Amino acid sequence: MFNKILPHRKITIKALFEFDKTPFNIFMGFLTFILVMAFVVGVGNYLIHGHHAYGVTREHPWGLMIAMYVFFVVSSTGLCIISALGHVFKFKSFEFIGKRAIFGAIITIISGFAVIAFEIGHPVRMAIYNTISPGVTSAIWGMGVLYSIYLGLITLEFIFLSRNDHKWSTMFGLGGLVIGIAAHSNLGAVFGFLIGRPMTNGVFYPIYFILSAMITGCYLILLMYGYKYKMKFNKELTKFLVHIARLLGLLLGILIFFEFWRFLTAIYGNVPERADTALHVLASPNFLFGELLLGMLIPFFIILFTKAKAIKYLIYASFGGMIGIFFMRYDLVHDTLVYPMQMMKITEYQLAPTLIHYSPTWTEWAISLGAIGITLSFYYIGENFFFLDPIEHDEYFEDYQEIK
Amino acid sequence: MANYGMALDYKNCINCKACEVACKEENGVLLGADSHRIWVGANDVKGEWPNLDIANASFMPSQCQHCENAPCQEVCPTQATFYDENGIVQVDVDKCILCSYCMVACPYDARYVDDRTMTVDKCTFCSDTRLVRGEITTACQNTCPTKVRTFGDLDDPESEISILLMTREHFSLKAHLGTKPKLFYLT
Repeated sequence: MFNKILPHRKITIKALFEFDKTPFNIFMGFLTFILVMAFVVGVGNYLIHGHHAYGVTREHPWGLMIAMYVFFVVSSTGLCIISALGHVFKFKSFEFIGKRAIFGAIITIISGFAVIAFEIGHPVRMAIYNTISPGVTSAIWGMGVLYSIYLGLITLEFIFLSRNDHKWSTMFGLGGLVIGIAAHSNLGAVFGFLIGRPMTNGVFYPIYFILSAMITGCYLILLMYGYKYKMKFNKELTKFLVHIARLLGLLLGILIFFEFWRFLTAIYGNVPERADTALHVLASPNFLFGELLLGMLIPFFIILFTKAKAIKYLIYASFGGMIGIFFMRYDLVHDTLVYPMQMMKITEYQLAPTLIHYSPTWTEWAISLGAIGITLSFYYIGENFFFLDPIEHDEYFEDYQEIK
Repeated sequence: MANYGMALDYKNCINCKACEVACKEENGVLLGADSHRIWVGANDVKGEWPNLDIANASFMPSQCQHCENAPCQEVCPTQATFYDENGIVQVDVDKCILCSYCMVACPYDARYVDDRTMTVDKCTFCSDTRLVRGEITTACQNTCPTKVRTFGDLDDPESEISILLMTREHFSLKAHLGTKPKLFYLT
């Protein structure tokens, strides 16, 4: 019965542990276990100490976990957009990644929800009052509602893709894409609507979020296929990966262009608060080494100088790229809050306020990084349980034969 | 039904912090530096002896501005932050989910987390302690030795605050943001 609804393999839990015991596989298994344990321990400490287990303060009320939530939902939207290139927009060479990418989109957003559930003080109350007392002017409300619909749509899309029902999968795929983009730009608006924060306020984030989501999607597709094929690609697969690399190069070029003008406008005229924040960000190692070097320049120059042909190097750079994307999310939150809202000292014997300091606690690190363990374990289970690659009845199976 | 606001003759402030103590006492605000509904901002004397810039030393008492166009109310996903019938910006603790978006959105840093309810708390103009008893004063105003604060109904042209605002020049904090604060600083 269930197999009719969602085709899957019949496997035992024992079979999940019977993988090739190569050093890399053992390392990945060990890493996943450690990360999941970190998540469990972090959540345990949060349940004991509540929000006091986090390093957030009155002046810096959002921290690493909000950044990590954004990281996961950016990944999800990115994978959804890239998968839609194939089975919604019918780009032939992208068609066969559909199921794998959509499955990735589902598990990354679930991981994101797992993180945010322990950051929001009252998640159950949120579900109730978001419904019966909606604050429709709130970007968080819009984002929450749209992401819930998005998760439903991409789950249905995955089910119909697995059933080789391309009529319905395209419909749900299109719906998921539109709602996903709406939700994601709403997430950008959560920051863009902050009228009191000149560096963040404005149109940049809602647009930039879509662009950086697509970049994240490309990085993750490269990593998924690099891992699956152990860096040994045949001619057809190489052709597809070169397409992804070219797309990534274009997107990175646009991102670098966006960032250049964003910072130049922020600094130009030396407008108080905005220029101070921008100069602080530009001089920070998080931005220079994380965002700029790892997240943008290294992958971009590999693509540029090798004409997108050095796929293996690019896959290694994609790992660095994801670290860069993590810094982009962390800086998004920290840079928004770094400038104090009041510049006078309010307790005796303190120094006059300067830029606000924030340092995540071990609990925040454990939950945030631990959620990557959730993604990895779901991915491994999904890889074994579902048919993430095209199967014989899929209409593009013949094209895929050569890739296989 | 009223439209409450507050005028602050801030140059009279001597930074005795009696208002902060009275606020905590009256409204049961927890101890601790982060838990405060109101505060007095201070600028130090600048320079080195004997060339001291004493004009730089100033005190600026402040609290929630009870904006007419409050960013905190606009961003609240569950309408936990609302305007009551007297135009006071309040938090419904039963609806607050502690997403902290209001704390991020407030341009005045006027909100904090109450550790007892684990919800966001802020100045209420003493509405559930003094106003509810029929006393049209706030604790901070009542205790101030130099009469910095004047609290009252902005819609009543005969009220002390209305007369003050008609006769004295005043400004609001971050007025360029369009939040329409109801705290007025008299110059």
